[in-house]
Amino acid sequence: MSSSAALIEPIVAWRLWHVRRHDDLYRLESFTWHHVSWPARRRFEAECSTHGAAAPVEGHECGIYAFKTRELAEDLLRRYTGVRQHYGRPYQELPPLRQGCPIAIGRVSLWGRILARENGFRAQYAYPYDLFLIGGEDGLARELRRLYAVDVWPS
Amino acid sequence: MDIGAPDTEHEIEIAPLEEPVPSPAPAPAEEPVQEPVPA
Repeated sequence: MSSSAALIEPIVAWRLWHVRRHDDLYRLESFTWHHVSWPARRRFEAECSTHGAAAPVEGHECGIYAFKTRELAEDLLRRYTGVRQHYGRPYQELPPLRQGCPIAIGRVSLWGRILARENGFRAQYAYPYDLFLIGGEDGLARELRRLYAVDVWPS
Repeated sequence: MDIGAPDTEHEIEIAPLEEPVPSPAPAPAEEPVQEPVPA
C-alpha cells in the first residue's frame, strides 16, 4: 500500500549503535552489520547488495532499521547483552557494558521512502536525533556530540 | 532487528523541506601567514 502524498516531517524512531573507533575518531556503527559506520553531518543512505540505492524494497529485508518505541530498542539491547535490569528513566539506570565496547541507544530521524511495519521501519535515509551512551565516559560523549552535532548523554 | 511481520508493511514517503542533518562543521581558522620581518 502506498501513500498518496508525501509527508514533510521525518519519522523519529529508536535504534541502537555500536560506538567504535575508526582511525582517529569514534563513529556510530550499525548494530547488526559490522564495520558499517554512520557518517557525521550527512545523511546515512540505505544500500542493498541486490537493489543498490533503491533500498528499501518491498519483499526484501534491506534498508535502515529502527523501532517504533524505546522499549523495543531496549529489548534488543537486553537480548544482546543479557542484561536483565529495566531500562527506565533516568537513563543512568542502565548498567555499564563491557569496558571499551560502548553502545548508543537513541532516536533517529528517518525520511525518504519508508516501509513501516507493526514494530518499526525500514528507511531510505537516516540521521541520529539524540543519543544515550552506554558504557562510555563523558569524553566520548563530548566527542560524539561534536562529531555528529546532536545531543549525547553519557551513562 | 525484528520490526515485525513483513505482511504488516506499508509504504510512506517522507520529503522534508529541510533534511534533519546538521550543517558541516566550520573549517578551522587558518593561522595568519607571517611576513618575514628583517631582524
